[in-house]
Amino acid sequence: MDQDQQLIVQLKKGKMKAFQKLVEKYKKPAFFIALGLVGNRDDAYDLSQEAFIRVYANMRKLNPKLKFFSWFYTILSNLCKNHLRKMAVRKNYIKSSMANTEMKHLKQRALSPDVLVEKNEIALRLWEEIKKLPFEFKEIILLKHFQGFSYKEISEMLNIPMGSVMSRLYYARKKLKDNLKDVFN
Amino acid sequence: MKCEEIKPHLMAYLDGEIEQEKKGEIEKHLSECESCRKEYQSFVKLKEVTNKMRFADLSDELWAGYWKRIYRRIERGTGWILLSIGAIILLSFGVYQFFKEFLLDPYVSLIVKVGVSIFALGAIILLVSIIRERLFLFKTERYGEVEK
Repeated sequence: MDQDQQLIVQLKKGKMKAFQKLVEKYKKPAFFIALGLVGNRDDAYDLSQEAFIRVYANMRKLNPKLKFFSWFYTILSNLCKNHLRKMAVRKNYIKSSMANTEMKHLKQRALSPDVLVEKNEIALRLWEEIKKLPFEFKEIILLKHFQGFSYKEISEMLNIPMGSVMSRLYYARKKLKDNLKDVFN
Repeated sequence: MKCEEIKPHLMAYLDGEIEQEKKGEIEKHLSECESCRKEYQSFVKLKEVTNKMRFADLSDELWAGYWKRIYRRIERGTGWILLSIGAIILLSFGVYQFFKEFLLDPYVSLIVKVGVSIFALGAIILLVSIIRERLFLFKTERYGEVEK
């Protein structure tokens, strides 16, 4: 039994300390994945915490034999997807009601270059293009490039075969590369 | 191997995850096919750029408060659940008693019964409305502790 499996067994017995250890261990990857997916620090902080709370609420469904982070990622990714959907609906509503100030606020919230360490032109452009990618492409780019997960880990997290990891990554990178053609030239 | 077949494997080659037996095949193909070689080089460039991009970390203070905030939210959630269950039990008992002891009492006049019933209904509606508003505020304003 690895450390996560032991913690899950203890968590299922109701030991809060075990849950705290899991949170402390995975809070950073959880936050940074959420940040990459939704593009805003406040929302990422909140969504990553919400994912942990859902883990706690559904701890009976946790299987110690399965990888904790793969299960956790499914919850986190669904929360981020729903959040983006809600934001898109809000954006469309505001667009149709012509509320310019609110629209500007939403745009700034979505762009938020403060999430990057280096704010040079290429990095900002890359970040902008990553955020424009379809959700499936964006998540695979984030998991590989920014979290450094292996293909096997990504395949478990996304619940897809290794071949699909490779082809999805190929099409995601190709789309990103094509959108950044002017930068590379 | 044809170009289309090799393309997804280029990713594994680029990320150092290629199986040993495929590696030779890909290297051979890249040395022979200019189009795939060019595409591979552009992927190398993209990887170099993306590898340099880093997300800014949160302050130590926010990381230190991360667990405390989760714990508080779980604690409050449990508190709300218990409070709701207790309120439902007490309210059901109150409604039962109200019917039994007051509305069905033949000595209380009809006008008093109607007045008290309307008053009680109004108070319940107000109470539910305030609780709902408080809950909505609690759910939507979660960012108080996060740096803007």
